[in-house]
Amino acid sequence: MNAILDFWAAREIWRDPLVASVLTGGLCGFLGVYVVLRRTVFVSAALTQLSTLGLIAALLIEERMGVEVEHAGVQLAVAIAFSVAGALLLGAVHGGRRLPAEAGVGITYLAAGALVILGANRLVHAAHDLNAMVFGNAVAVPLSDVVVLAIVAVVCALVHLLFAKELVFVSFDRETAEALGLRTGTWNGVLFFTIGLAIPVTARVLGALPVFAFLTVPAAAALLATRRLGTAFLVATVIGVATAGGGYVLSWIWQLPTGATMVVLASLCVVPGLARRAQLA
Amino acid sequence: MLDPRTISERTAAPLVRLTDATIGYGAPLLTDVSLEVRRGDFLAVVGPNGGGKTTLLRTLLGVLRPLAGRRTQSESLRIGYVPQRDHVDPYWPLTVAEVVLMGRCRLLGPLHRPQAADRERVRVALTRTGIEDLAERSFRTLSGGQRQRTLIARALASDPELLVLDEPTNGMDPAAELAAMDLLRDLHGSDSLTVIMVSHRLEAVANYARRLAFVSHEQRLWRVGELEQMLTAEALSALYGRAVAVREDGGRRFVYPLASGVSRTGSDA
Repeated sequence: MNAILDFWAAREIWRDPLVASVLTGGLCGFLGVYVVLRRTVFVSAALTQLSTLGLIAALLIEERMGVEVEHAGVQLAVAIAFSVAGALLLGAVHGGRRLPAEAGVGITYLAAGALVILGANRLVHAAHDLNAMVFGNAVAVPLSDVVVLAIVAVVCALVHLLFAKELVFVSFDRETAEALGLRTGTWNGVLFFTIGLAIPVTARVLGALPVFAFLTVPAAAALLATRRLGTAFLVATVIGVATAGGGYVLSWIWQLPTGATMVVLASLCVVPGLARRAQLA
Repeated sequence: MLDPRTISERTAAPLVRLTDATIGYGAPLLTDVSLEVRRGDFLAVVGPNGGGKTTLLRTLLGVLRPLAGRRTQSESLRIGYVPQRDHVDPYWPLTVAEVVLMGRCRLLGPLHRPQAADRERVRVALTRTGIEDLAERSFRTLSGGQRQRTLIARALASDPELLVLDEPTNGMDPAAELAAMDLLRDLHGSDSLTVIMVSHRLEAVANYARRLAFVSHEQRLWRVGELEQMLTAEALSALYGRAVAVREDGGRRFVYPLASGVSRTGSDA
């Protein structure tokens, strides 16, 4: 009881981080339905690496060339540019006769990951900034980050609300959508743009691993538990919001790592769906 | 208002035309392909596996550009497309009605939500394909034949002038295959739809198509003509590289390969 009272007393401290966590959970939970159904789970992993690489590039430019990019907004803009460019590229790749598309995603993930390690190794002063941006710091999220996150969430929500039928059609059956005259490349680009935009902004709040988890686990739990696509989007968003918010509160009360607590809580949501499937089988 | 001559020219003009086209993905698969598909046509594209049937279909659809030559189509042609049903992702939790409603997507355009008229068009398409009772069923729980009907209904929901089907009876049992082909015959006959279908099942098309196109990449073979001219044992034996017999019994045509060593290539038909 005391822990809960202490938690409430500290609301000035956790208000902004909690809002940011909830927005991240909801946004990633929603987008995750596309990520899971399109079998592009590892695209989101590759994009988190690319956004980190963008950040390191910005920090290296600042340190080595003396170009002023210290402002967090500029660093975030570079990370977004890397992530969106990667998303558009990976979203456009279908694989060829020699290599499946997964190979391209794997190469991107590994190459970006290796460059992150090499780049981080050359950083002198900005290692602390990097640590916070790669692993997130949900305990202390500045209001400016919450505002940016809210804007990105609204943009993504609007795009998906206005163009839902095109995005679903192109994702479900690209071949027919193309035959019927839809600009499938453009719609794919729109979808991956929203994913590429969301990843660096949310990773800045929660860190790369929780964002990867929130793009996968709530959607998987929702798809196991529901039979309709519309319901799956809604349930995935609710699971994302509830487990990000709940995980934040529990991690505060029990003094646990925030991101890991959220991911464990989200993963527990898969259990009812699995149990139901096992029962039906 | 269009004058009668213009109307007549438009009706007579091919819906889709390939002129001296070279088709393929990067490397040429077939060359010198010339083909016109006119209103009311029922064209079946047949040939061995890997022969280039689907590549030709994609070129006709306009999804794949010819490497050389030209593809033209009539102005604002509405195409309904039925892909191979194995290509449609079974993971998506969509109802039959939701899948069929996708056929309206192009007509609606971006920013427009489906209206009552679109839902009515979906209902009509479901009724036309005999699956109105499956509207709320999950697409992924359907049998192969039911999925095929759903995909045909989606194509019909797009109000097509030209219905294009890629291996529509692939993997079906004989009864489902017959039912699917009867449905296509009805759509071609009573709904005046122009039909192009790809099939490696000669039996399936021999009793329905009006024209046949033979495609074989290996033999650099490309021929198109009326069914009666094309459906001969000699022509089919040349296409498949082994002896094939064609027989007519009870008003139906049967096409079957002959055992190795049998050299008869004459037609009973």
